[in-house]
Amino acid sequence: MARAAHPDAMKPKTPGRTRTAPPMAPGEFPFAGRYRAYTLFDWTGIIYLLLGFVALRVVWALGDGESAWLAVQGQLENPLYLAFHLLSLVSVIFVGVRFFRLFPKAQPARIGPLKPPPQLVIHVALYAAWIGVAGGLALVLAGGIF
Amino acid sequence: MKHLLLRLEPVIWLLFGLGIMVGTMLMTAWIAVVGLGAPMGLIPADALAFERAHALGSTLIGRVVLAALIALPLWKGAHHTRHISIDMGNADRDGLVAPLLYLIAIAGSVLGIAAVVRL
Repeated sequence: MARAAHPDAMKPKTPGRTRTAPPMAPGEFPFAGRYRAYTLFDWTGIIYLLLGFVALRVVWALGDGESAWLAVQGQLENPLYLAFHLLSLVSVIFVGVRFFRLFPKAQPARIGPLKPPPQLVIHVALYAAWIGVAGGLALVLAGGIF
Repeated sequence: MKHLLLRLEPVIWLLFGLGIMVGTMLMTAWIAVVGLGAPMGLIPADALAFERAHALGSTLIGRVVLAALIALPLWKGAHHTRHISIDMGNADRDGLVAPLLYLIAIAGSVLGIAAVVRL
C-alpha cells in the first residue's frame, strides 16, 4: 500500500518570483455599462460637499439676524442656486434609491445569534423612514405643521 | 498618515454611512423646501419668515437636525470625493488627498455645530 505523498514533495528548492499583471481599469470604466451608475454615485459626493456648505451658509445667516436671513433668502432665488438645488434633488434621490437597494443585500447573514430580517422588510423599512423623515421635515419647514 | 487613516477607518465609515442615510433623508426635504420651494414661491411666504425659522431652529431638536443636515453630507461628500480621486488613478496621492478632504469635512462640521449653537 502506497503512502500518502508529502505535501511539499514537488516544491522547488527556491521559490519562484510571483508575477502579477499590471493593474488595468476595466474597458467600460468610468462611464459605460455598469460603471456609469457606480461612477455617478461617487460623483454625487461633490454635490453633497457643496450642499453641506450651502446649508451651513443658510443656518449661519439665520444666526446673524433678520437682515442676513432675508439676504440669503434672496440669494437662493438666483437661477444658479435654483439649478444647483434641482441637480442636488436629482442626486439625493439617486443616492437614496441606489443605497437603499444595496443596503439590504449588504447585511451579514448573522449578527451573533440574530438573523437580519428579510431583505424586502429592510427595503420597505428604509423607504418608510425616508418618506416619513423627509415628508415630516418638509411639512414642518413649509409651515404645514407647527 | 496612511496608518492613521486606517485606524480612523471605522469612524470615517460610520460618518460616511450616516451621511448617506440620514443626510439623504434630511436633505431631500431641505432642498425641496429651502432650496426650491421657497425661492420659487411654491410655499407660503411666512413659512420661512425669520421669526418662525429662528424659533424652529433654536429648539433642541431643531439644532440637532440642522447640525446633522450640515455635517453628515460633508462626510459622505468627502469620502466619495476621495474615491473619485482613487478611481481616476490617483491612488499614490491618497496620502495627501484623503486628509485634505477629511479636514474640510471636520472644519465644516465644527462650523456647523457653531452655527446651531449661536442660534
